[in-house]
Amino acid sequence: MQSILSATHLTKSFSTPEGRPFTVLDDIDLELKEGEIVALLGRSGSGKSTLLRCLSGLVRPSWGEVRYRGQRVKGPMPGMAMVFQNFALFPWLTVQQNVELGLEAMGVPAPQRRRRALEVIDLIGLDGFEKAFPKELSGGMRQRVGFARALVTNPDILFMDEPFSALDVLTAESLRDELLELWSERRIPTRSILLVTHNIEEAVLLADRILVLSANPGRLMAEVTVPLPYPRKREHPVFVERVEQVYRILTTRPGLEQPPAEAIGIGHRLPRAPIGALEGLLERVAEGPGFGREDLSKLAGEMQLEVDELFPLLDAAELLGLAVVQEGDIRLSPLGQRFAAASSNTRKKIFAERMLLSVPLVGHIHRVLQTRPNGRAPEERFVRELEDYMPTEEALAVLAIAIDWGRYAELFEYDYNAGVLYGEGAPSPGT
Amino acid sequence: MRRLFPSPDSLRPRAPFSRWDLVVIPGILVLLSLLTVALEGATQPFGPRSPDLTVSLEPVYLPYYSLRSLLRMLLAILLSLSFTFVYGSIAAKVPRSERVLIALLDFLQSLPILGFLTASTAIFVGLFRGSLFGLEAASIFAIFTSQVWNMTFSFYSALKTVPKELVEAAAMLRLSPWQRLWKLEVPYAMPGLVWNAMMSVSGGWFFVVASEVISVAGREREQYLPGVGSYIALAIQQADVRAMIWAGISLFLLVLLYDQLFFRPVVAWAEKFRLEQSGAANTARSWVLTLLQRARLTQRIARLPAALWEWLWLCSARFSRVGSALEGRLTRRRRERLADLGFNLGLAVASLSLLGVLLSYLFGPGLGFQGGRMLQPNPNLNRNFSPELARRFASLGIAPGADRTVWLSQLCAASQGGQVVREEMRTLLHEPEVGAPANLVEACSRPLAPTGKVAWPEVWEVLKYGLCTMLRVSAMVLLAACLWTPIGVYVGLRPTVAQWAQPLAQFGAAFPANLLFPLFVVALANLRLNPEFWLSPLMVLGTQWYLLFNVVAAAMTLPNDLKEAARMHGLSGWAWWRRLVLPATFPALVTGGITAAGGSWNASIVAERVSWGSTTLVATGLGAYIAHWSTGAFNPHVGLGMLVMGLLVLAYNRLLWQPLYRLAEERYRLD
Repeated sequence: MQSILSATHLTKSFSTPEGRPFTVLDDIDLELKEGEIVALLGRSGSGKSTLLRCLSGLVRPSWGEVRYRGQRVKGPMPGMAMVFQNFALFPWLTVQQNVELGLEAMGVPAPQRRRRALEVIDLIGLDGFEKAFPKELSGGMRQRVGFARALVTNPDILFMDEPFSALDVLTAESLRDELLELWSERRIPTRSILLVTHNIEEAVLLADRILVLSANPGRLMAEVTVPLPYPRKREHPVFVERVEQVYRILTTRPGLEQPPAEAIGIGHRLPRAPIGALEGLLERVAEGPGFGREDLSKLAGEMQLEVDELFPLLDAAELLGLAVVQEGDIRLSPLGQRFAAASSNTRKKIFAERMLLSVPLVGHIHRVLQTRPNGRAPEERFVRELEDYMPTEEALAVLAIAIDWGRYAELFEYDYNAGVLYGEGAPSPGT
Repeated sequence: MRRLFPSPDSLRPRAPFSRWDLVVIPGILVLLSLLTVALEGATQPFGPRSPDLTVSLEPVYLPYYSLRSLLRMLLAILLSLSFTFVYGSIAAKVPRSERVLIALLDFLQSLPILGFLTASTAIFVGLFRGSLFGLEAASIFAIFTSQVWNMTFSFYSALKTVPKELVEAAAMLRLSPWQRLWKLEVPYAMPGLVWNAMMSVSGGWFFVVASEVISVAGREREQYLPGVGSYIALAIQQADVRAMIWAGISLFLLVLLYDQLFFRPVVAWAEKFRLEQSGAANTARSWVLTLLQRARLTQRIARLPAALWEWLWLCSARFSRVGSALEGRLTRRRRERLADLGFNLGLAVASLSLLGVLLSYLFGPGLGFQGGRMLQPNPNLNRNFSPELARRFASLGIAPGADRTVWLSQLCAASQGGQVVREEMRTLLHEPEVGAPANLVEACSRPLAPTGKVAWPEVWEVLKYGLCTMLRVSAMVLLAACLWTPIGVYVGLRPTVAQWAQPLAQFGAAFPANLLFPLFVVALANLRLNPEFWLSPLMVLGTQWYLLFNVVAAAMTLPNDLKEAARMHGLSGWAWWRRLVLPATFPALVTGGITAAGGSWNASIVAERVSWGSTTLVATGLGAYIAHWSTGAFNPHVGLGMLVMGLLVLAYNRLLWQPLYRLAEERYRLD
């Protein structure tokens, strides 16, 4: 089959405020062939959205190159179109004007523009809504407009950035089905679709190939092919097996069997795990039928967690030594069992102990606050230290997580107005 | 699905006119003819030999004067819009330019607006030599400078905050820069721009009244451009109560007409550019907009330029060219860093040389020093620039300057250092309007600054004035906040009251408060009150409304669940205020306070020196200082006053309002 889009040695890095490179995507080679749907899957921080933007020409890679039908991609090429997560509709334009926009850039005269737009509106099931403004439409209808706007230019390749994640489950399902129908019946001239998703089932439902990215930095970790005809049934054994396989890949660390407790430093990017959700997950696993062991795909389906929500929780549980995640399963450690059964105060104590032991950033903050005579330190101090390892935005996010966890464990407190961290028991800056 | 039946729209006979056109067509004709009349008046010849411009206090002429003032407002707002688009786009798009342009804008917007009038008159009169439009342009420019800055800021910040996904969508669709501007950036900036334009026009009325009387270098008397502002100025000069009432009525009608015919439709139209994806609760309505949208003729006229537009559109299209990436290959290169360094260096050199030019303009040779000694102020003795005094000085052999200035140094020269003072000169120096020093010999013995230049001691003096004005502004805004917060909350919590109170407050903001100044003068003069203290309220007279309608809006949007929770917990009295209402209205209070304070600084030039007939009341302050020197040509004294006020306002905003604003944004925002 003919290749449409290819990337070789694609690397994207930003520089930290210190001027050090911060790699998001590392040496990625991939190819999109004619007639296939490819899904990019990965945890948060795997740079899958950045990869999509590099491939579509929105962002130039720092290294390596992207070729589209043999041409080097230096910007969005004619023949490319994109569907966005939050629709990206122009709220001041009607449905029809939004759809026509893609043709205007191509210099199509008004009458043809109008005819073509109405055709696509018809195709996508939007007729009757031509004169409506996006704000009058439901989420599903808005995303239909997003699809119509992308398809009106007869794109050769369609990029989709989590197109169904802002929709409710039922709407997403029906829109996916319709897209597949258009695709498999060849009612759209699009020859290839690249889809970013954090929903594993969605990837298996839609894609011929699933490319799994590792996180920090993003590398291509594995490729899973789904040799099933459309429409796919979720109960099909191959379907179930592929979902399991993806979970297994995502929970297996390349080359390392155990979490590298000694390797992480202050600059470790803490998983974005809200404490409440973590408690809920551990309780559910402890009390579940598996007695502390649970299959992740089942757990995710039951708790309605997507990759972006589930994996940070797993990472946090593993980081703190409360659970082990392996082969698509989660298994509570003895400590995790104790944690799940404990009272709120004991939980905080366990949490505090484990954090001081295995989260260097929290330990560092704790130490600094203890050595300070007044037990206080401004947040900027820690942000600056984190900026040695990551861009400012990332540093702020990581610090916010550390503060959240530290507050929960009652290791230290934080004054929002003053932006000051202070040790438990030290006088608050406000008083 | 194909439609089986034609839509009802296409079945209706397409008559070229609808019944709405019965109103719209005559309306358009009337507007066009009025515009012609006004333009004709504004472009009459005006040369050195033309008689002095003046206005008549007959109320019959008021409609015509209103028309002329209206035309000035219209041209000023059009000018402001064009400036906004160009300046805002450059600042947001050209790399590195924003560092200069935005800082400049920040400074320009804190400069006292009326100071520009003296600076610009000479330029415009020279530019439109022989036409009245030179003076018109000076007046329009003054109004323009009162309107443009906040609009430009709003446009610029909108360009910087266009949602990332929309920017990406535009790039993915390969829209050309021209298409992106009109389909994405301008629409996105529209609600903020319209709101700011409305604020600007509200403020503009105040300055229309203040900027139509212009002194031209080389002319004995001030020029009264036909307009409501001149009418009011003349009425104040002649203490004509009847004329003031007529002027009040016509301004009331003018503001009302402008609001109904122009701004309400624009605001209602701009509703569709709001980004909220859900239908907003209270949308603005306008009967004029409805009328225009239903009349067929206007629809046709609106479609006329469509062909041209389409042509422009397609010319700029990319066709099958590659779009442009949003982010380059490398985030930082050495060459870029070098360019950065060069730019900063150039910037530093440019600002230093500019500072040098400015200082030498203000201080003259030796930058205010001579022979190692500091030069002393060389004041204008003819403090009121009165022609009568100028004549008497001239008869003593002291030739007054072009704008009737008589410098102390001239007097010293004529009296040989204060040693020889003739009898006539002595009586003249003892006139109350002459600012001669008590000890002439001592004053003449010190080295004086060159005529028209500023001396260092004067700078300290001006700074002191500035602090006085700052104190007044702060106290008055605080007082206004204390007064209007309870009222605003009371009104805002009662939707039926708020419905009519809100437009009323907006109207109050637009109605030029300077019309009411004479009332104060009469009252203060009759009650013998201290003007230093009692003139202060004039500064917030026109700007307090911003506080009111911001608080009303905040109280109206106070979430119901918060109100209910407060009731459930039995919050009442002071606790209710402290825990619920004050925090919830704080952001609005700050926003209103910023606008009110900014307006008050500007108003100080008019409010610290007010007169009615022959009575003039002066309060010590920077505004009075600038007003005092703003007669005739632009001079270093006005320059110094403007510079100091600009810097003070800048510091005031940075040190007081910005932290408050940040606090409001971070802590008290309800979303």
